[in-house]
Amino acid sequence: MEYVRDAVRIHDLTLRRRVDDKELIARVLEGDPSAERRLYDAHVDRVFRLVYRMAGDLDRAKDYTQETFIRAFSRLADFRGEAALSTWLGSIAISVALNGLRKVRRMRDREVALDEAPQMGRLSVEAEPDLKTRLAQAIDGLPDGYRAVFVMHDVEGYTHEEIASSLGVHPGTSKAQLFRARARLREALADFAKD
Amino acid sequence: MLDDRFDDQLRDAARDYNAPPETPRDEIWDRIVAARTDRADESEKAVRSVRYFRPLALAAGIAALLGLGVELGRLTVHTPQPVAVAPSAVMTPKVSAAAYQLATTEHLGQAEIFLTLFRASVRQDGGGNERLASATARELLASNRLLLDSPAAKDARTRALLQDLELVLAEIAQLSPQPRSRDLELIKEGLDQGGVISRLRIAVPAGGSTTQGAL
Repeated sequence: MEYVRDAVRIHDLTLRRRVDDKELIARVLEGDPSAERRLYDAHVDRVFRLVYRMAGDLDRAKDYTQETFIRAFSRLADFRGEAALSTWLGSIAISVALNGLRKVRRMRDREVALDEAPQMGRLSVEAEPDLKTRLAQAIDGLPDGYRAVFVMHDVEGYTHEEIASSLGVHPGTSKAQLFRARARLREALADFAKD
Repeated sequence: MLDDRFDDQLRDAARDYNAPPETPRDEIWDRIVAARTDRADESEKAVRSVRYFRPLALAAGIAALLGLGVELGRLTVHTPQPVAVAPSAVMTPKVSAAAYQLATTEHLGQAEIFLTLFRASVRQDGGGNERLASATARELLASNRLLLDSPAAKDARTRALLQDLELVLAEIAQLSPQPRSRDLELIKEGLDQGGVISRLRIAVPAGGSTTQGAL
């Protein structure tokens, strides 16, 4: 019974939030700067959490959050309200983060190729880290698509529908990618699974 | 069963993956406001630079039209059966391509000069006027983004060069007024390793940039 009441309360909150978002968007489009700030305040935590999880770096997370809202404000007139505003913002955020991280990786690859190539092998002979450290390394090693789905679903609690809408894929694809991501992680941490 | 238990363990452990700190709301908001003001200025400058390039584009268009006219004339002489050609349909893409080519060459020429001077200043005295360098980089970045979105970027090599140039310009544009010498060194290393300046030199034909030879 308590469970049903919670579900109804969450549903009501979601509806109320959608109405609030609609009003705020209308006011932003009319040029009300205080509405921009309110809209930002309502969604910044979720955006920041997602990009921080993806980037693992405070400066980059700030950059990606900043870029997400700049893009969102400039394209707000195109938002048709088919998905929740938070989902739409999530799709901008994940695209900004993935593109940004690709650029960082390209630059880092260039540096590593020339400067640190002989040192790379040493990493593997370091002391055996604990599950969390090994897991973090394994998540870092996932392909971008798998990592995005894993972080959004298993770490940040997005639904497959939200992930699909954010990444522009079918919910079935999101489920399949999560399944493969977990399989890869299980494989990478097989020795822990035995213990 | 074992898999399920391990999945649960994974999910628990994953909650600590890149655990975010508290959102620095006000700081990010201030940055958004500042960046939007900067970008509004940049687009105004970009509009001005498009206005500046318009006479050049027109001149290139006229030159391309003349060239095409001569070529068509030659074709007519050699071909026994004159072929009906719709001039506007044939000429427009060529004229447009010539204009974009000119704008791209001019832009790459300016970027080459700027980056050469920037690298030299880092080498000699560890940098000097970062505020000016950052402002110039922002202006070039605006033109660079316009070109990346234009048909000029259809050519794969030009596109790759513009993308690498974007990275370098973005780094310089983000320099603080008193950057750490390591920041400057990293940008210089990036320039040297990516070979951006030499690729710019190859892309800009001799005399292609109006300021070529100034160095």
